[in-house]
Amino acid sequence: MSVTRTVEQEELNQLLIETGSEDQKAFAELYKRTSSKLFGVCLRMLRDRSEAEEVLQETYTTVWRRASSFNAAKASAITWLMTLARNKSIDRLRQHREEQLDDPLKLDEAPDDQPTPAGEAETSQAHRRLQGCLDELEPQQRSSIREAFFTGATYNELATRCKVPLGTMKSWIRRSLMQLRTCLDQ
Amino acid sequence: MKTPADDDNHLRYAEYVLGVLDADARAAVAHEVQTTEAAASAVALWQQRLMPLTEEVAQVEPPAYVWARIHHALHLNAPARGRPRQGLWNNLPLWHWLGIGASAVAVALLVVVTIPRTAPPAPTSTASPGYMVATIQQDNGVIGWTATMDPKNARMVVVPASPTAFARGRAPELWLIPPGAKPISVGMITPDKPTTLTLDPALVAQLGPKAALAVSVEPIGGSPTGQPTGPVIAKGAISGVPEARARPRKTAGTGFGSGATTAMLNASDRSGVQHKATTETDYRS
Repeated sequence: MSVTRTVEQEELNQLLIETGSEDQKAFAELYKRTSSKLFGVCLRMLRDRSEAEEVLQETYTTVWRRASSFNAAKASAITWLMTLARNKSIDRLRQHREEQLDDPLKLDEAPDDQPTPAGEAETSQAHRRLQGCLDELEPQQRSSIREAFFTGATYNELATRCKVPLGTMKSWIRRSLMQLRTCLDQ
Repeated sequence: MKTPADDDNHLRYAEYVLGVLDADARAAVAHEVQTTEAAASAVALWQQRLMPLTEEVAQVEPPAYVWARIHHALHLNAPARGRPRQGLWNNLPLWHWLGIGASAVAVALLVVVTIPRTAPPAPTSTASPGYMVATIQQDNGVIGWTATMDPKNARMVVVPASPTAFARGRAPELWLIPPGAKPISVGMITPDKPTTLTLDPALVAQLGPKAALAVSVEPIGGSPTGQPTGPVIAKGAISGVPEARARPRKTAGTGFGSGATTAMLNASDRSGVQHKATTETDYRS
């Protein structure tokens, strides 16, 4: 799987590497350039502002401490950062899974998962490629994958939300993941 | 050659990255990623495959205090550089530090910040009281705001120390409580930014070490009755700062690096970030 890197990605990589050498100025710049993206994702998953703020804070304190382990050959800075933010958000969700499970209000609040017009113009080649592969999935399976990714829900939660048996949800997701891998790795 | 078991195993990494595993299964994969190179590579590949989806999420700028808290948590020592475009007046870590740790320096800074905007204070007014500070704490001991008062120039700066959430349509209102008297409204304050309040002369007259400040939750436009109507969420006693220690340039020089001081003196857009409080309450005491 080849990765085409843009100038912006290279700059972010550089900033993250410099953050790894305890360069505070680079860290501040990295925060300035990436925090809105990460905060958007945390908010989307947690749907609670103060929790999202806490998770964002945890994310960047971890970034500062772990930046020296970043390897630009293995991942881009933005993937590395997003992974951290998502992992922390999911961990947070798992801590109070019970409350989230049957809360229809929260589900209704979910914004439309389709790309916004502004987002569309700016999305990367990698995103367009992924979108193309997602488009090849069955609609229900595609929306399950998106729901899973954007909300951090467990199989159980997804099955409840979509009103299908747990086994059905598992096979939808697993089949979709295999199909995505085949499509993306071509 | 791939076997179904390989596929199953591989799928766990995909499920981990997608985020569908429960807490225990997540922890197991996370541990594997830490300890085996193969798991780490497989997970990294899936991150590369799926993470572009995050591009679809609308960006939301986090409030400035998140950066302040990160700075604080990591003990980073260059507060003025964090968010260069905001200028020093809006620099929460700096205010936070000043308000809690070094009231004398805070007062000195207030003087430096105040001077360019007003006529130079008359050196002859020896009778006027000195600067005063108050740490406005919640019941649980968490510091909500710090206030620095400059009675001579009828001015008060209120700085949030920790974020406080307010329901829609509600906002914090600051009250002065003179000893044995009813609260007097000082004005509405901004929950997440420093607020500069211009003080009514009647209110300045009540400032003193026996008075206290309190914050209550009120409708956006302020209490309709002239007295607190919502819960009092934080309070703190006022204390004086000895006049002798409040010499601006000397004291300011001791507390910060020259960069911060320069930034402070060069902060060109101070008026843009100040909030003049308009208080519709008639003062009663």
